[in-house]
Order: sequence, then structure tokens, then C-alpha cells
Amino acid sequence: MKMNDTIIQDSINVAEQTIIKATETNESTNWWMWLAIAEFGIIIFLIIKEKLNNRSTARQRFKNESLKQDIDFDNIINSSFNSIKLYDQLKVKCHPDRFPMEKEKNLIAENIFQEITKNKNNVKRLLELKEEAIQKLNINF
Amino acid sequence: MFENTWNNIIDWFSDRSERARLVRSFNQSAKKSFVAGIAPTLLKASISKGESSYKHQFSNWLKSGYRIQAFTGRILSKDELIHIGKVILDDSILVRRLIVLGFDTLEIHGDAGTYGVRYQLKDYIPLPKFNENE
Repeated sequence: MKMNDTIIQDSINVAEQTIIKATETNESTNWWMWLAIAEFGIIIFLIIKEKLNNRSTARQRFKNESLKQDIDFDNIINSSFNSIKLYDQLKVKCHPDRFPMEKEKNLIAENIFQEITKNKNNVKRLLELKEEAIQKLNINF
Repeated sequence: MFENTWNNIIDWFSDRSERARLVRSFNQSAKKSFVAGIAPTLLKASISKGESSYKHQFSNWLKSGYRIQAFTGRILSKDELIHIGKVILDDSILVRRLIVLGFDTLEIHGDAGTYGVRYQLKDYIPLPKFNENE
């Protein structure tokens, strides 16, 4: 009976020691885990701060405004090869001197001609002006 | 200081992606126009070294040139290369975008040899002076 008690007591001691060791190991793991959580927290904080912060310096504002606008590359490529021909056609047909007697048409032609000269490298705008000339000046192309 | 560094890192990645997108968009449009017969020559955009004397406040350190090269199709004359340059420089939105993304040189090249034209982008748009400490 006494021997059994000793064995039980020893078993309890061994179990206690095992628990203590396990707890010590866990404490060490927890420390690294908390460090990782803290790092993760800092990264998340910086990302959120970055998103919320609009960094509205003049330089950044200028940059953001420039990046907002859309670029029509199709028109640029088209204009690179076809704008000269269209411009030459329009500048002859829409010249104000072609309407010397009609004052109103002469004024419209002058405005259209100025726009044509201003947008001579922009096919999209030239086509719009061509349409305007057909409607307002009754020009046949 | 840390915040500035962090912002610079984010800006660098963001600019890099925007620059690549600008080149890709141009190439897609050029390909589409060539296939449709709108353009007689296939144009291709790429990023080049650029001209160091054309630097401005937004300039990239290394690759600051936006190069457009004529490929397959008809060989372009110098006048046609100049005209392509003028069309691009007339588009103020594109010039502004090129400048803020770190480009300072626009190069238009033919298919063969090294002939071509080169433009200083800052000459075509008024750039405000920024205070770095603002």
C-alpha cells in the first residue's frame, strides 16, 4: 500500500514537471507569436493609413490629376497617319473666303476654320468639324 | 522620414505599373489600327534610356525615354516620323501623363538604322515648380 502511494506520488511529480516544461515552451512560442501579431498589426496600420492619407501635396495633386484623364490611343494612331489628308481637305472646303456674300455663313466658316487649324493633328475633332461644316455650311465632301 | 520612404516605395511600384500600362495600351491600339488598315505601318512603343540632358523634376533615374518605333509595313519618311511626334505632342493629356510617369524624352524611330527624331517633353507643357517640403 505504501509502495503504491510512492508510485502515485512519483507519477504526480513527473506529470507536474512535464506540465511545467510544456508551459515554459508555450510561453516561448507565445512571445514570438505576439511579435508576429504586432508586426502584422503595424503593416495593416501602415496600409490603412496609406489608403486614408491622400497625401495632398501640390506635386501629388498634379500627378493624380494627370493620371485621372483618359487617353485615346486609337485616335492618336489614326491621327498619325490620316490627319494631314483630312486637314488639307477641310481647310480648302471650309475656308471663310468661299462665303464672301453670306455674312452669317462667313462667320460660321471662320469659327470652324479656326478650330480646324487648332486641331489639325486630331482626326476625331476634325471629323466632328467636318460634320458641323456639312450641317451648317451645306458643304458637299 | 519613414512615412516618406514608405510613400516613395508605393509610388515607385504604382508608377512602374502605370508606365507599363501606357506602353501596353499604345501597342494594343497600334496593332488594332494596323490590322484594320487604318495605319499603314505597325508602330510599337517601348521604354528607352532617354536623354540625360532632358531631365525634369518628375524624371525617372534610369529609363526615361518613351520610344515609338515603326515596324512592319511601309517604311516611314522623316517627315512622317516628325508628324507622328507632332500628333503625340499635340495631345496635352498624353504629354502630361508621360511627364508625371517619369518620361522626359519622346523618341520616334524608323524600322532600320538609327534615324529618328527626339523631343524634350518639358518643352511642350508648362510644369509648375513644386516645393518639396510642402
